[in-house]
Amino acid sequence: MDPMTTTATATTAPVVGFDQVSKTYGTVRAVDGLTLALHPGETVALLGPNGAGKSTTLDLLLGLKHADSGTVRVFGTGPREAIVAGRVGAMLQSGGLMDEVTVAELVKLACDLHPKPYKAKDVLARAGISQIADRKVNKLSGGQAQRVRFALATAGDSDLIVLDEPTTGMDVSARQAFWATMREQADQGRTVLFATHYLEEADAIADRVLVLHRGRLLADGTAAEIKAKAGARRVSFDLEGAIDEAPLRALPFLTSVDISGQTVRIQSSDADATVHALYGLGVYPRNLEVAGLGLEQAFVAITAAEEAKQS
Amino acid sequence: MNSLIKLELTRALRNRKFLFFSVIYPSVIFLLVSNQTGKVDGTGLSVSSYVMVSMASFGALTAVLMGNSERIAKERESGWVRQLRLTTLPGRGYVLAKTASAAVVSLPSIVVVFLVAAAVRGVRLDAWQWFALTGAIWAGSLVFAALGVAIGYLASGDAVRPITMITYFGLSILGGLWMPSSTFPQWLQDIAKWLPTHAYAALGRAIEQSQSPETKDLALLVVYFALFAGGAAWLYRKDTLKA
Repeated sequence: MDPMTTTATATTAPVVGFDQVSKTYGTVRAVDGLTLALHPGETVALLGPNGAGKSTTLDLLLGLKHADSGTVRVFGTGPREAIVAGRVGAMLQSGGLMDEVTVAELVKLACDLHPKPYKAKDVLARAGISQIADRKVNKLSGGQAQRVRFALATAGDSDLIVLDEPTTGMDVSARQAFWATMREQADQGRTVLFATHYLEEADAIADRVLVLHRGRLLADGTAAEIKAKAGARRVSFDLEGAIDEAPLRALPFLTSVDISGQTVRIQSSDADATVHALYGLGVYPRNLEVAGLGLEQAFVAITAAEEAKQS
Repeated sequence: MNSLIKLELTRALRNRKFLFFSVIYPSVIFLLVSNQTGKVDGTGLSVSSYVMVSMASFGALTAVLMGNSERIAKERESGWVRQLRLTTLPGRGYVLAKTASAAVVSLPSIVVVFLVAAAVRGVRLDAWQWFALTGAIWAGSLVFAALGVAIGYLASGDAVRPITMITYFGLSILGGLWMPSSTFPQWLQDIAKWLPTHAYAALGRAIEQSQSPETKDLALLVVYFALFAGGAAWLYRKDTLKA
């Protein structure tokens, strides 16, 4: 046993522990030396562009795939053991359902298979699908099917809920209702891990955001920290007359400049210093705005910076 | 796992088309082709009792082969099999539940052919023969249940239906379930006698003739079962690692 593992088991085991995990498909490194730990009660968003390795990461966590190297531990055991112990509930992105049975029958099955089950009636109610309980599973809309999958993931008293793109196919109000339900789960002290490409969801719901890119962890922190990391602020203003680009591009602390027509938009890691230097140029910026980056821009900035570094 | 078996069964019994083809259809064919007097050459059996065993075997084959292969292939693709792997259900549980529910449907398909044969065509056998026939055909259908599972894990998408159909009709016709294989040209007979369906029906006929089944037929069925079940297990494991 290597010293790392000894330390990890001596303290309380994290809910999820990845240690130098890699997974390769052919020549593609889907997950590349990933190390991370999730702690009890956290609500964690897993962000990344398509192909970043989000689904592979979740599959490894759930034991659906096996790592080429490194170890994946869930509650200090292997993923399968954690599932058999009823500690993990999961909703897959491509989670097909059993056809030709009713929603109620399917949820009942999930309850029967869980070691610490809830009553099927309560699971249906909590997932907001009581009124479609008698409908056949293959006659559901995309959003309804997502709710059924959510019901399957919450059929029992699991300590960790894993959701892969849970709100795909839902309209805005369904999405809001879904996250309200999800928050209830988190408020009961559960650890929730979800992958999403809706950044506003990560911003609004997650305590912690993991940014994955090409199978590696680019950023790990609160949404605010991620935004700060990205080059904190954007500054925009208008200039009259012909714009002399060179001095603008030479302003301190810039991370990007975009000039279109009379409008200049820049991103800066120290907006105060940048604006100060801007006035020093002797120009008269109008409609000056300084604002924090949204998580979306932060995310784009972080991944773009990484792309630039690699090419 | 019992709850999955129960649900698979509920679903099978709800599917009228499937029930018709596996339970009613063999009896219908039986009535159509057994309408002849006389004996089948070289067997000492009346046409009715000969065809009865063929059709009971055919019905059981339909129930266990047709339902499972396509379902498994579809559910593998849709991701339902992955979803089940996130439950406490043991890995084999899914396959066992499918096989068990198929076995429950195949039993009535056997019994209905027997009832029709006895009631309409006046087939008479000793009590022990009825029981032995039911048991042998039912147990023998496990060979084809394993084949269905193997096809379900081997083929995917659009390929599964044609593969199942070719296997199903090929085994039924060449194995002599539709017409006695003694009517085939010699070269075809030489192939047919090695098929599992041929051995399967021969098992039933031996019981009708009050003979003990031929060792070769029993051995064939055992070998095929080991082959199909082993293949299914291997494909299953491959699929699990890939998923």
